[in-house]
Amino acid sequence: MSKKVCGYLCKGCGIGDALDLGGLKKAAGEQGVKEFKEHDVLCSPEGVAMIQADVDAGTNALLIAACSSRAKTDEFSFGNQVLVERVSLREQVVWCSAEAEDDDRQMLGEDYMRMGGVKLTKSEPPAPFQLEGEVAKAVLVVGGGISGLNAAIAAAEAGSQVYLVEKEAELGGFLRTINKLGPQTAPYRELEDNPLPALLEKVSGHANIKTFTGATVDKTEGAPGNFTISLSNGESLRAGAIIQATGWTPYDPEKLAGDLAYGSSPNIVTNVQFEQKAKEGGLGGINSIAFIQCAGSRDANHLPYCSAFCCLVSCKQAMYVKQANPEASVYVIYKDVRTPSQSEEVYREAQRQGVIFIRRDEAYPTITGSDKLSLETMDVLLNEKVSLEELDMVVLATGMKPNNPKVVEAPLVAFGEDQEAAKKLVEEAKAQTEDWSVLNLQYRQGPNLPTLKYAMPDSHFICFPYETRRTGIYTSGTVRRPMRLTQAQDDGVGAAMKAIQAIRAAEAGCAVHPRSGDESFPEFAMQRCTQCKRCTEECPFGAINEDEKANPLPNPTRCRRCGVCMGACPERIISFKNYSVDIVGSQIKAIEVPEEDEEKPRVVVLACENDALPAIDMAARLGKSWSAFVRFIPVRCLGSVNLVWIADALSSGIDGLILMGCRRGDDYQCHFIKGSELANVRMSKISETLQRLVLESDRIKVAEVGITDHDKVAGIINEFMETIDSVGPNPYKGF
Amino acid sequence: MDYNQTFAKEVYEKVDSGDEIKVCMQCGVCGATCPLRGEMKYGPRQIWSLIRAGRRDEVLNNPDIMLCTSCYTCQVRCPRGVPIMEVMHGLAHYALAQGIVPRAETAKFGKAFWEGIYDTGRVDEAVVPIKYCLQDGLVAGLKKSLGMMDIGLALMKAKRMKPKMFIPPNIFIPGVHKIKGVKQLQRMLDKAAAIDAAKEA
Repeated sequence: MSKKVCGYLCKGCGIGDALDLGGLKKAAGEQGVKEFKEHDVLCSPEGVAMIQADVDAGTNALLIAACSSRAKTDEFSFGNQVLVERVSLREQVVWCSAEAEDDDRQMLGEDYMRMGGVKLTKSEPPAPFQLEGEVAKAVLVVGGGISGLNAAIAAAEAGSQVYLVEKEAELGGFLRTINKLGPQTAPYRELEDNPLPALLEKVSGHANIKTFTGATVDKTEGAPGNFTISLSNGESLRAGAIIQATGWTPYDPEKLAGDLAYGSSPNIVTNVQFEQKAKEGGLGGINSIAFIQCAGSRDANHLPYCSAFCCLVSCKQAMYVKQANPEASVYVIYKDVRTPSQSEEVYREAQRQGVIFIRRDEAYPTITGSDKLSLETMDVLLNEKVSLEELDMVVLATGMKPNNPKVVEAPLVAFGEDQEAAKKLVEEAKAQTEDWSVLNLQYRQGPNLPTLKYAMPDSHFICFPYETRRTGIYTSGTVRRPMRLTQAQDDGVGAAMKAIQAIRAAEAGCAVHPRSGDESFPEFAMQRCTQCKRCTEECPFGAINEDEKANPLPNPTRCRRCGVCMGACPERIISFKNYSVDIVGSQIKAIEVPEEDEEKPRVVVLACENDALPAIDMAARLGKSWSAFVRFIPVRCLGSVNLVWIADALSSGIDGLILMGCRRGDDYQCHFIKGSELANVRMSKISETLQRLVLESDRIKVAEVGITDHDKVAGIINEFMETIDSVGPNPYKGF
Repeated sequence: MDYNQTFAKEVYEKVDSGDEIKVCMQCGVCGATCPLRGEMKYGPRQIWSLIRAGRRDEVLNNPDIMLCTSCYTCQVRCPRGVPIMEVMHGLAHYALAQGIVPRAETAKFGKAFWEGIYDTGRVDEAVVPIKYCLQDGLVAGLKKSLGMMDIGLALMKAKRMKPKMFIPPNIFIPGVHKIKGVKQLQRMLDKAAAIDAAKEA
């Protein structure tokens, strides 16, 4: 494509007053942006019309020097085939440099113009990836319980072909064992009928849903838009996206034999067994009963988490007893009643019907007796030990375990130089990983969805529910986190929508979240590949398979475009059309480094676009200011930072670098899960290299900046500038 | 102690608004908000808890149930909408009806207050203290009233209590003491008491 470049300078928001526009144009001119237009308010309809007229006349590469790339996005978008590079003169130069000297501010502006110019001249408009052959548009739903059924119905009603696979001979999952539902609709007074028959009717009657019962998934190959699934019954299916709704298993009550005397009397039952009794109509003759909440839940020795449904179920089951015998004494012994949202009404209704709630402490109640049971517990609200006598039954409200194999990944330090230690860590992780599978993925990184804790498939759950770390595969219902029936029901619908979205994205050749709509994708210059496997091992989404010679086999529809592979590659053979090792490297080199005796240090901040950059923008907007010796370069993810950039920067005389990214660790906030973790590991390894170059490791800092940390940005930068002052100027200046 | 539902059922059925305490979730806002909490041993939340546990004697003999000054703060703030103040008075009333006097002075004052209303149709700053003090007999009553002299003088200074109020109530002077139609009021109150008695029986 031949590029016709033009620059646009906005004079609004104080830019025109603070900066010498002639100098800015000249700086951009050095990087190939010769032609410039100015406007008083570039984002005004007149300003936009001026740009649009040029675009219509054939200009296809625009350097827009105005506000942050996060502002005025609608105004400055001119279609996929027009490259737009934004230079943030407002947030990153004018607003944040209140205390700077005029010439320092001018130099800052000019550096950004050079950086923008070089990026624009080196970028190409992306051409979306197209799968070979027809894109598979069917949705595969694995699991025919409440969530799976709802997912199937929602996808089918949206027009998709749905394949519903159920392991058991009949659809329905756990719902088949349920007697009645608790109150679901206002005013939340009445128990309701099991919705399964109506759901089954809907599924069996739907032309778009094809059901396979008594079948499991033997093998899943391919990528979003092109999955091939082999079932245990010999069928082979093609699907564009997959929903795993495999539900839950009750916690094994045998493990409560010690704590809660399970098994010592037939009258000590679990909530699941009690439901069965209720379904069989066996609740007659109960005059006195106690429910024990958190039986093996929120307990480090059993399930450490809250299962979210047991409080509600105990309220419902207490109502069963009260309805059969209004005079019965019904006790619920709890640590905390957790009935959020409308469930609170159910709790209240149980109270209205006369159910007594007794709050206990961490210790389990002591249960004795065989036919008639006695129970002793600490009543926190009376602050004394109390006992319940002559109980006909004790119900243990046990929690749920997800029907998903636990996957433990070796810590990232395992990819270091110490091969022995690495091997050991990998072996340890392997030993904790369960060796069964639901989907049997034919992925280089293993057959299962990665989990973080408790075997629940994990992704960035705050921003992206339903997501797993395998693009195009969504989890729904109790397999992804403990939840109650209504939530599992809604979850199915949400997952179905995400699945359809993933198929559409595969069709269009663009990314799903968080870079929704991004048409760029990593391209591999394979002739230079050394088969080091770093990209295939480090991709957070398992997007890259391997052939037998360890060559990477990318699957662009699995890719989320974070660039972690690009950051990993020691040969620098992985690039995007508009984001590459060369582009960012050239941006760093475009920064003018003053001579040492001028005492103007230069610091580069590689800032994550998802969290750090908005925080920086917000800090600037709130009037915070910081050193004008700092230059920000946005990166897709800290994981995409290639070590060669650090080397380039230091060898061209830059005095220090800050990597600003998201929180890492178990409660990570990284949009690409492992990106900031990887960056941190890589930076810890670089300090040895620095020492070899006789450079101080203090020159590099990894800082965690969340999207709400705008108040910390200035502090981090100023503190780092003090460090740079104390270690002195980079000795490589002027080389 | 054993949990026993007999007393809870008695409260739900027989105490005014007693069944409303079923929905209490033991958050404790009532106690935290009560201006008299410092004087109370338990506070409303714990009293409800004792009722659920079946501690009849502990609840009905508890002075706390007679300490409520009807400020309504707890009732306004209760997230479950329990009419706490009404239940507290209900419990006090129920205790007295059972022949239990959880807090003698409050009971005497209440009696004086009520009789004053019954006799005159209004609350009179002179009538109520006279009736209150004289319940213990003349000598003890005089002693008690002398003990409260400074309050009386302060009230007089603030013109909340006027000397002419001390004309004994059975001497009729227009404009003082009795409302018009006090007989009709008494008939209404008698009727209400009869309905209440019928309900409790």
